[in-house]
Amino acid sequence: MSTTTVKKLLVHTYLLLFTMPIVGMIIWYFLSATFNSTTGQFSLENFNFVKEPVEYAGVNLPAIWPIVLNTLVYSFLIVVIEIFIAVPAAYAFSRLDFKGKLGAMKFLFLMRSFPGITLIIATFFILVQMNLVNTYLGVILVAISGSLPGRVYIMKGFFDEVPWDLEWAAMVDGCTRFRALMKVLVPYVLPGIGAIAVFAFLGAYGEWFLFKLFIFDDNMLTLAGYLSRLVTKENVIMNYGLITAIGLFYTIPLVVFYIFTQKVFLKVNLGGAKQV
Amino acid sequence: MEIPVALAKTAYKKPFTKKVYPYLFIMPFALLVLVFFILPAIATIIMSFTNLNASMKINFVGLDNFKRIFSDYSMPQILWNTFIFAVVTLVFSLFFGLFISIATQYFLKGKFTAVIYRVLWLIPSIIPAVVYVTFWKYLFDPTDEGFINKVLLLFQPDGDPISWFTKIAMAVVIIATIVSTTSGGMILLSAAISSIPEDLYKAAKVDGASEKSVITKIILPSLKWPLMYITISDLIGFVSSYFFILLLTNGGPMRDTTTLSLYAYQQAFNLKYYGYGAALSLVVVLISLILTLWLLRLFDFDEMIKPSRIED
Repeated sequence: MSTTTVKKLLVHTYLLLFTMPIVGMIIWYFLSATFNSTTGQFSLENFNFVKEPVEYAGVNLPAIWPIVLNTLVYSFLIVVIEIFIAVPAAYAFSRLDFKGKLGAMKFLFLMRSFPGITLIIATFFILVQMNLVNTYLGVILVAISGSLPGRVYIMKGFFDEVPWDLEWAAMVDGCTRFRALMKVLVPYVLPGIGAIAVFAFLGAYGEWFLFKLFIFDDNMLTLAGYLSRLVTKENVIMNYGLITAIGLFYTIPLVVFYIFTQKVFLKVNLGGAKQV
Repeated sequence: MEIPVALAKTAYKKPFTKKVYPYLFIMPFALLVLVFFILPAIATIIMSFTNLNASMKINFVGLDNFKRIFSDYSMPQILWNTFIFAVVTLVFSLFFGLFISIATQYFLKGKFTAVIYRVLWLIPSIIPAVVYVTFWKYLFDPTDEGFINKVLLLFQPDGDPISWFTKIAMAVVIIATIVSTTSGGMILLSAAISSIPEDLYKAAKVDGASEKSVITKIILPSLKWPLMYITISDLIGFVSSYFFILLLTNGGPMRDTTTLSLYAYQQAFNLKYYGYGAALSLVVVLISLILTLWLLRLFDFDEMIKPSRIED
């Protein structure tokens, strides 16, 4: 039996070794945010930004709560719009026959592996032409266009799993196709809708790049955009305490959200053989 | 009542409304794809033949931009960076993904510690990039504030802090990317390993198989599919990714960590050479397309989207 113990120890040793940086990162984050580096005492003064606008590198930062509100509104809009566009499209791809379906599916698949850099330069000009630069609408349109193909794929997988008999039964009982969809199919694929809602929210909550690119007004930033401005201000971060405090303020709700929605991730079959 | 033969022979013609119906469902999606995918794609191709810059005047210059790519003196370094970044990151994140999934799903199967390890590895991919990047900036901070410099100064109190980002910037970028992308592969591989029936291991043990042959003869063959998928999709991702590098080093110092995608971004948005940026980004597309077509061939796409009639 001793050989197994040795093996277990070896495995644990390696795993611990590899996992060290991550554990270190978590510990550092909490320490950095809650310790006063000069006195070496526990203090919450880094979290003063929740009460009043604070100063960082000589610049007064905007107050945090309007930015929190922006983040929540933006994320909510993204979730709702993505569901309302992705679910009907996925239904059509999964259950209806139309000309060009196979071609469209292949195109979708290609889209998913299309590099974002290619489109973003021209997209910038299209937004300028549409007068949508520095507006939420512009950011939302670009963001959902980028993520919808993936959502439609996931949703199609859920629709594919619904037995045809359910729909037939509904039709026999006098439903139209549309009523069958609303009354029978949609309740059946609710876990899928939940899944894409979770993904959409996570994507929106972490979106900083489009805000960096299209939003010039600091008062319109979301938390991620706000942090990205701070992190990339100079090459050297001046005040780790403040940055990590804002980072924790931004990340902890997200981790809680993950804990409550983790079941969703188990239901999604990504990269599977049958339904991608 | 018998149905007349002639009637039965005439094919069923779909009414027009039934034909239009599906298109109503995909209309919003199709419209978005048209305006924010197909249109920009076409615009990019047109832009790449112009010298569009900060003056916003459109002059067609033919193939000048593409000639410029070939004569661009920083190009060899950028292509090399792209290659090194993509390949090294891929190899290591595959290795770690394999190691952790085999360790937690086979050696420590069902143990509480296995769950802890997996959750810990998930964390870097869960926390937002803007938060994650702060840690690496702190670790390799060039002043004596940085963690590694602090440790070094403990050993050499009279030494100078080392400015890591000017010395080994690419290594920092690669390490940080590996730690955050390992988990994606780990999840897929763990799922595949956990679906291997326990009896196989037991049978192998009874037959006196070593751990090595259990791994090479039972576990690895069952991972062929997910490994292939992760390899190619990650490769495409790494070739065209630039967000994280933009946050961490902004491509610097000089062009040490600039990959092709990031270079295209900088040319377009920092230097306002939109035309040249568009031409560069087309090269990224070309590379990605070649990789994607390879993916489609490997994955037998038509088989994949046909509804399977057999549950296996």
